[in-house]
Amino acid sequence: MSELRARSPWAIVFLAGAALLVAAGCGPKASAPAAEPIRIGVYGPFTGGSSPMGLSMRDGVRLATDEVNARGGVLGRKIELVERDDQATNERGAQVMQDLISNQHVVAVLGPINTGVALASYKYPMAAKVPLLINVSAGAPVNELFKDNPDNYVFRIAASDNIQAGMIVGEAVDKRGIQKVAFLCDDTNYGQNGCAKMQEAMDSRKLKPVYVGKFKIKDTDMTPQLEEARAGGAQALLVYGIGPELAQIANGQQKLGYKVPMIGSWTLSMSNFIDAAGPNGEGATMPETFIQIGDHSEKAKKFIADYQKKYGVERIPSAVSAAQGYDSLYLITAAIAQAGSTDGPKIKAALEDLTQPYDGVIASFKKPFSATDHEAIHAAEVVMGVVHGGEVHPPEK
Amino acid sequence: MTDLAQLILSGVALGMIYALLAFGYNITYSTSRTINFAQGEFLMLGALTGLTCDVRLRLGYLGALAGAALVGAALGVLLERVAIRPALRTGSTVAWVLATVALAIVARNAAERIWGTDDTLFPAPLGSDPLQIGGVRVLPQELLVIAAAAVIMLLVEAFRRWSLWGRAVTAVAADKDAAALVGINVPVVIVASFVLSSAIAAVSGVLVAPLTLAGPTMGILLGTKAYAVAIVGGLQSGVGVVVGGLLIGLCEQLTARYISTGYKDTPGFVLLILILLIKPSGLFGRRSIEKV
Repeated sequence: MSELRARSPWAIVFLAGAALLVAAGCGPKASAPAAEPIRIGVYGPFTGGSSPMGLSMRDGVRLATDEVNARGGVLGRKIELVERDDQATNERGAQVMQDLISNQHVVAVLGPINTGVALASYKYPMAAKVPLLINVSAGAPVNELFKDNPDNYVFRIAASDNIQAGMIVGEAVDKRGIQKVAFLCDDTNYGQNGCAKMQEAMDSRKLKPVYVGKFKIKDTDMTPQLEEARAGGAQALLVYGIGPELAQIANGQQKLGYKVPMIGSWTLSMSNFIDAAGPNGEGATMPETFIQIGDHSEKAKKFIADYQKKYGVERIPSAVSAAQGYDSLYLITAAIAQAGSTDGPKIKAALEDLTQPYDGVIASFKKPFSATDHEAIHAAEVVMGVVHGGEVHPPEK
Repeated sequence: MTDLAQLILSGVALGMIYALLAFGYNITYSTSRTINFAQGEFLMLGALTGLTCDVRLRLGYLGALAGAALVGAALGVLLERVAIRPALRTGSTVAWVLATVALAIVARNAAERIWGTDDTLFPAPLGSDPLQIGGVRVLPQELLVIAAAAVIMLLVEAFRRWSLWGRAVTAVAADKDAAALVGINVPVVIVASFVLSSAIAAVSGVLVAPLTLAGPTMGILLGTKAYAVAIVGGLQSGVGVVVGGLLIGLCEQLTARYISTGYKDTPGFVLLILILLIKPSGLFGRRSIEKV
């Protein structure tokens, strides 16, 4: 008690100072009501093994926001991003989503990266009728949600695991004629969901993988899994995970002299896979919506140049995430403009019926969504990229 | 057969890494009856310091080892000062646990600020082309880890048994008050044990990083596994941690291959619980008789 009393004069001074600061900060804002910005939430992992995706996505969104604001914003108001790091953990994802919706009063949310985070957090925007435009997560349920939520507020502009798993199996079985494959998937929601989807794709071809292996985030030694795949006679590894662990699989293959092709989730294009696997990652093949190298539309060329200039990098850490982040901000602003309102149900209705086509970085969008289909990306917009010389290259023609 | 030999080899390499870290627990436990729960983070800081020395400052792999050892030693002094000494003075048994765990979190966050959050490749000093021994393929770095861990542990054990300083450490371990009575400076011996243990952790970081990638989260799992190893082998026994390390390393690899990758970590921790139930002082630990 005595300690408290001794401190109280300082506490009063501090509070008075804080009150003054708050008053000074709020004054001018209150006097200019027209400039009230439109707040859009952005969440993703800005730290940890998934951070190349999270940071690239965020930087893509920022780039688009700056462009929109430079042109005067939307509905005569500037866009203000509210960014939150979900640290790729499910419970943290749920927390930041509640914060974005209940405290920050955002009108729409962009993100996340990780499947588990999406699963843990999509309920809140659904209940609050705030559109969630998923711009990276491939495993999150989207159209599947219509069954229990006819009034579905979740949209996606990314290649879903349904598409990716089908393409991965297709590349191995149909294109390369390899019937004996092994699955190696991490034990997260993402890896296991991808594993199940690949299993479905195999079932539809009346085939079975010779081995299904699991690994954990931060596992560094993949010898047992690779030995078992080899013992089963697998001639290709179909993998689902994130950069660092996938790199350890590639490095383990080199160590064991087990040189079979690696085909897997789009995360094989992450900078931390390419750098940590080095020459061992050569030839890794993955489905991609956007590849930095290759022929591009004027729009995409400008996007790459602007990104490189603004963030001072030559290679975008995760080009897919950056491009999808960029396009997601444009789609949501187009919907807000068309709705003429920041009201959630009106934005959703506009998204489902976008009248203006949007020529984006990853694709040219004409009515990307409808009332029954919330997936903007279909198999036609996705290609198989190949790691070559430390960069992802488009497929050979 | 080569399949099995391959697994045993990678199990031994893994086990020696665990043993080296657990050996650090053993050193401080013997002098102060405390262990550093930030040991895994010290390994991580050693690896990242080494990476900076090796790649950024171009000091080479030996420079990296030296840099890591220096930073590790400094961290040891700091740790003893801020986390261990106050707890020992007040006689609290939980304070040092919480303080070292807190230090681990601070270290991880600091590393994320300094080196970024990504895992990066640590160039292997002996190249990354595997050697072929019989049908078994082994990375030169794996052999280096096994050899270096064995040499470090042998040197420390020899020092403890046959040098005057080492005997002082043993004396402090046996009875602090009696050691002080015969003129041993007990606080200095305790600081020295933390310096040694932290420097070993940092050096092991530089040793394992070419195999595991270097990043701020690399120490979490290793630190926990090493703790299990120390308990299984016996916190007071240098031989015990080696046996414990090899046991858990091999268990992991063989379970993953012959039972299921999903159960990889289970046998190690089941072993831990069994040992705690049957022989709480560990496989090689002597039961200490507390005379009151």
